[in-house]
Amino acid sequence: MAVGVLVDLTKCIGCGSCTVACKMYNGNKWIDNRVPSSGEKAELADENWTVVKKHKVSKTSVSDSDPKEVWRFVKRQCLHCKDPGCVSSCFAKAFQKTEEGPVIYYPHNCVGCRYCMLACPFSVPKFEWNKTIPVLTKCMLCAGRLKKGELPACVSACPTNVMKFGEREALLAEAKRIIADDSRYVQYIYGEEEAGGTSWLYISDMPFEQLGFKMNVPKKPITRYSSKYMHFTPIFGAVWGIILTGIYFFTKRRAKVKKEAGKKDT
Amino acid sequence: MDFNFVFEPDRWAIRVSYDHWSFRITPVRAFLIALIAAAGCIMLYRFAFGLESVSSLSDRWPWGLWKGWAVFAGAALAGGGYFTTCLVHVFHIERLKPICHRTLLISLLGYTLLLIGLFVEIGRWFNFWRPFVSWGHESPLFEVFWCVSLYTIIQFLELTEIMTQKVLRKFHWILVRIFPVLAIVGVVLPSMHQSSLGAIYLMMEGRLDPLWWSPYIFLFYLLSSLYVGPAMLAVESVIVSKAFGHVTPMEPLKLLARIGGVLMLIYLVLKIADLVAANELGLLLANSYESNIFIAEMVFGVIIPLAIVFSPLINSRPCLIAYGFLASGGVFLNRMNVSITGMARDAGVFYFPSLFEFIVMFGIVAGVVLVYLFMCENFNILTTEEEHE
Amino acid sequence: MVTWRRKPSIKIHLLVKGLKMRPDNSDNIIDLKNDENPEILVKQDNEGAVSRRNFIRFAAGTGIVAVSAVGCGGPAGGEGWFPAQYNEQGNFPPHVRGRVPINPGNVSITRDNAKCILCGQCTEACSKMEAVMFHYELPLIDDIPCINCGQCSLWCPTGAITEVDDTARFLEALEDPNVHVVVQTAPSTRVGLGEEFGMPAGTNVEGSQVAALKALGVDTVLDTNFAADLTIMEEAKELVRRLKRELDEPIPQFTSCCPGWVRFCEYFYPDLIPNLSTTRSPMGILGAMIKTYYAEKRGIDPKNIFSVSIMPCTAKKYEAVRPEMNNVGRKLGDPLMRDTDLVLTTRELARLIKMRKIDFLNLESAPYDKMLSEYTGAGAIFGVTGGVMEAAVRTAYTFITGENPPASLLEFQPVRGLTGMREAELEIPSVGKVNVAVIAGMGNAHKILDQVRAGKSKWQFVEFMACPGGCISGGGQPRTALPPSPELHTARIDSIYSLDEKSTIRLCHENPEIKTVYKDYLGEPNSELAEQLLHTHFDKDYHKHLTPKKSV
Repeated sequence: MAVGVLVDLTKCIGCGSCTVACKMYNGNKWIDNRVPSSGEKAELADENWTVVKKHKVSKTSVSDSDPKEVWRFVKRQCLHCKDPGCVSSCFAKAFQKTEEGPVIYYPHNCVGCRYCMLACPFSVPKFEWNKTIPVLTKCMLCAGRLKKGELPACVSACPTNVMKFGEREALLAEAKRIIADDSRYVQYIYGEEEAGGTSWLYISDMPFEQLGFKMNVPKKPITRYSSKYMHFTPIFGAVWGIILTGIYFFTKRRAKVKKEAGKKDT
Repeated sequence: MDFNFVFEPDRWAIRVSYDHWSFRITPVRAFLIALIAAAGCIMLYRFAFGLESVSSLSDRWPWGLWKGWAVFAGAALAGGGYFTTCLVHVFHIERLKPICHRTLLISLLGYTLLLIGLFVEIGRWFNFWRPFVSWGHESPLFEVFWCVSLYTIIQFLELTEIMTQKVLRKFHWILVRIFPVLAIVGVVLPSMHQSSLGAIYLMMEGRLDPLWWSPYIFLFYLLSSLYVGPAMLAVESVIVSKAFGHVTPMEPLKLLARIGGVLMLIYLVLKIADLVAANELGLLLANSYESNIFIAEMVFGVIIPLAIVFSPLINSRPCLIAYGFLASGGVFLNRMNVSITGMARDAGVFYFPSLFEFIVMFGIVAGVVLVYLFMCENFNILTTEEEHE
Repeated sequence: MVTWRRKPSIKIHLLVKGLKMRPDNSDNIIDLKNDENPEILVKQDNEGAVSRRNFIRFAAGTGIVAVSAVGCGGPAGGEGWFPAQYNEQGNFPPHVRGRVPINPGNVSITRDNAKCILCGQCTEACSKMEAVMFHYELPLIDDIPCINCGQCSLWCPTGAITEVDDTARFLEALEDPNVHVVVQTAPSTRVGLGEEFGMPAGTNVEGSQVAALKALGVDTVLDTNFAADLTIMEEAKELVRRLKRELDEPIPQFTSCCPGWVRFCEYFYPDLIPNLSTTRSPMGILGAMIKTYYAEKRGIDPKNIFSVSIMPCTAKKYEAVRPEMNNVGRKLGDPLMRDTDLVLTTRELARLIKMRKIDFLNLESAPYDKMLSEYTGAGAIFGVTGGVMEAAVRTAYTFITGENPPASLLEFQPVRGLTGMREAELEIPSVGKVNVAVIAGMGNAHKILDQVRAGKSKWQFVEFMACPGGCISGGGQPRTALPPSPELHTARIDSIYSLDEKSTIRLCHENPEIKTVYKDYLGEPNSELAEQLLHTHFDKDYHKHLTPKKSV
C-alpha cells in the first residue's frame, strides 16, 4: 500500500496555509525576499519545500465568447514518484523511497553532487547554494507525521480541503470519478502516469500546460533505462575482462611465436 | 643539498634544480603558476562560503562548467590512456609502445584533474567517500565513482612502474610482475565508467534535447572515449614538440588514428541510425540553436576527421594534427553540448559560467600541464624504448 | 523559540563568516526585514559579536559536522514546531485551520508570512463575523474576495496581518514644502488612539490627537465628525425623498458609509445596490469639501492639497482608491485627482507619533482648525454601530415633521448595543410607522438582505457596519485586546455616547457651520452641487469577480 495526495486545483484560493505549515513543521526559513513561496513568482527553493504559484489563465466559456482572465493557484512540491529518479540517481543512497510512499532524504549520506536535481523529471530537489555545508532539500511528505498517523502538515492546514490524503489507488479512483462526473474538469489526472506514476495526483478545470505543469515528462518510469543499464553493467565488466584476458594471452603468445620464428630465421 | 637557480637568458627562463630534480620556469609557466594560485584562492573561498559565492550555478542549472568540463570532457579526453594501454599491453601491438608512457601520464593527470574539479564542485566534499560505504548501486554515477577511483589507483600503479625506474628502484620488479593484471583491469574499469558517464544522462529523458538523448547514449560515450585517445595523442605531439623539440614518430600516430577512425565510423553510423530509429532526423533541419550546434559537432568533430583518416591526407603531419584537434574538439563539444547546450531549453534559463568558474577550470588545467612538463623533464616519459617485459 | 536547527551548515556558516553575521535564529523571532524597526536591527547586529553563546554554537556546529562525517543521522525534515491543533490523527481534521487568502495587491491589509502560525483566527473572523471566506463558490474567478474590513488583523495573535503601511507616503508629503497637508480624523480614532499609549480603553484623546498631528507637522487638522453631520443632512434628505417617493429608488435605504459593507453588497447582493444610499461616506464628503470649499476659502490650489484621513478602518484605504472617488477631480476636469489622497489607520498614526518620539501622554490638547470641524453629538456617534441610524433618524424626523425629535429619539436605545442585529419601530407623524434595523458584522447581514431580496422586507432604513460594534472596533484600531473583547467595545462606545450626551447641539441640522456651508456653498441638501460632490455611485459589475454560495 502506498499513500498519496489528491489535489483538486479548483478549490485552491491561494492563501498559502500549506506553505506556512511546511515551513513551520520542517523549521524552514522564510526567504520571500529571495524566492517567494506564494504569488506569481513563487518557486521551489532550498527553504521552500512547497509553494503556491498563482497563474493567470485565459478562459473561454460557452456563454461568453471573449476569453476572460481567471486566476488559478497551483501547489507545488515533490510528487513522490513511484520510481523516483532522485533515489535511482543517488550513488550514496541519500534519497530513499519508503514503503509507505514518501521519498526521504538523508543528509548525512549526501555528497552534494546534485545528480538528483537533474534526474528528477519535475526539477524538485533544490540545493543550498549559499551554504558552506549545503544539503539538498525537498518535500518529505512529512514522513515523521505519517508515522504517527497524522496528516502531512500542508494537508492538515488547508482551509478549503484542496488536498485529500489517502491510499493512492483509492484517490486515483476518486479522481477519475470526479472528473467523469463534472464536465468542468479537464479529463486528465496529472501524476497518474507521469514518470511512471506519482503519489501526488492533480485534477484541474484548466489545462495543465497553462498551469505550469511539465507535460513532456515520460509516461514510464524515468529510471527504466538506467536501472536496466546498471543491472547489465557487472555482466559487461566480467565478460569484457575475460575477453581482454583471452586476447592478452593470445596476442602475447602470438608475439612470442613470431619472435621465436624470427630467431629461427636468423 | 640546496635549491639552485640558474637564469637562462636565451629562453627568459629560470632553471630551478634540487638534487637530481630540475624544472625550468619560463614566462608562460610563471603565468600558469599564477593561474594556479588564483584558482587555489577561489577554491578556498568557495569552500568557505558555498558554491553560490563563486559560480553562476543555480537551482535551474545545477551542473555547470566544472561538471560538464571536468567530469565529462576531462574524462573523455583522458580516455586516450586506456585505449593505447589496451592496444599495447593487451593486444600487444608493439609499434605503439613508444607513445605508451606518455598517454598513461596524460590519462592519470586527466583523472587527477577530474577528481580535483569534482571535489571543488560537489557540495558536501567532506562526504566524498560516502558511496564507498553507502551503495547507491542503481545509479550510473555509482559505477563512475567506483571505476574512476579504482582506475586512478591503477593508473598510479602503472605510472609507478615508470617512476620506480628512477626512484625506489627496489619495488620496480613487483610492479613489472603485476603489470598485466593492472593493464587488463585498467581497460575494463575505464570502459565501464566511460559508458556510465553517458548512462548518467539516461535519466534525463525529456530534459536533454532529443538530438543528444538516446537510450543508447552510453554506447556513444564509450565509442567516443575510445576514438578520442588517438586524437588527443596527435594534439599532444604538437605540445611536446613545442616544449621539448621532441618529434613524435608518425607511424604509431597514424596507426592509432586509423584504428580510431574505424571506431569513429561506427559511431557515426550508430548515431545516424539512432536518430532514424527515434524518428528524429527532422530535428536536424529545425535550424534551431541546438540543431546547428549538433550539425557542427558532427561535421567538424566526426565527418571531416573521418575524411582525413581514410584518405592520403593522413600521411601529412599537419593533417594528422588537424585530425587530432578536430576529433578531440568534437568530443569535447559533444560533452559540453550534452551537459549545457542540450539542457538549456528545459532549464529555461541561459547559463554562462562566471569568471571564477573559468579561472578555476584553467587553473586546474594549468596545474596538470605543469605537472606534465615536470614529469617529462624528470622522468622517462618521452622515451622510445620500453624497459619492462 | 527553537534555535537548534536541522542543518549543521548554519553553524559552520557562522564560523566562516567570522561571527559577524547576526544570530541565525534572529529572523525567526523578529522580522528584521521590517524597515520600520531600524533600532531593533542595529541591536541584533551588536548581539552578533563573538559571545559565549555563539562560541558554544560554533563548537556544537563542528561537532555536528564530525557526527555527519562519521555517518549517523536521520532523515531531513520535521525539525520545526507545528501548532498542536494540527497534530490530530488523519481522520479528525482540525476545525479551525489555515488562514485567509490575501491578494498581494490588496491596498488595505498585508501579511508577514514569517509571523503566521496558522492559528486559524483570521479564517474565523472572516468567515463567521464577516461571512466572506467560505461564502463563495470555488474555483475563484479573478479575485481573492476581501471586503478590506481588516477584522482579521485584530484577531491575528502574532500581528502577522497588518494594515498596508502608508506612513512613508505621509511623511514624504509632510516634508514637501509645496504641499499643504490637511488631515481629517474619524469619529472613533479619538477613543482608540490613547490605548496605543497605555491609556485606559475608550479614553477620549481628541485634543491630544490634534496636538500630535500638529506636532508631526500637519498644516490643518479637520474633524470628520463635521462631515458626519453633513452626511446626515444628505442621507436623511435622501431617505425622506425615498419615503415620500420623490426618488425613484427602492426602500429600504441602506447606509453606505461603511466601505466594507459596500464591497460586501457589491460582491454578494449586486441586485440590492439601488438600495444603497448614494450619499458618500463622511471621509469622502470631507475630502470633497477640503478640495473645494476649504481650498476656495483658504485660497489654496486644490492640486497642492494633500488630503489625509486618519481612520479606524483598513477598508477606507480601499475606499479612497476606488475609481469613482474623484468627485472633485471630475468637477475640476482633472480626473486623476483623488478626493482623499491617503488614509492612515489609528495604528499607523500611533506608530508615527512613536517614531517621532512625541510624548503623547503629556501633550497639551489642541483644538481642530476652524472651518469644517464643528460637530454635533449626532455626528460624534457615527463611530458606533447604530450611530448613523440614530443621527439620521433625528434629522429625518425634523425634515419630515419640521419639528425637532422627541427625547426618546435622542436616547434611541433599541439601536444601541453590541448585538449583531437590532431593530426598532418608530412613529413619525405624516409618514407613520418606520421600521429601522442596524447590522454590525456582515455575518449578520444575510438575515435582512435575504428578506429584502425576496421582497418581504418590513424595513425602511437599515444601517450596515462591517465591524462588530461599528467603527470603534474597526480593522485599523489599536489591538488593545486579542481578540477584541466586548468590554473593549463597550468602553469605546460609552466614551463616544458620552460625547453626544455632553454636547449642546445633538442634531446635525442645527450645526451652525453646516448651516453656513449650505448657505454659502451647497445650497440645500441634495442640491445639484451636493449631488455632484457628496454623492456617488456603485460598481454594479463587481459581483462578476465572485460566485456567491447558494447556501452556507
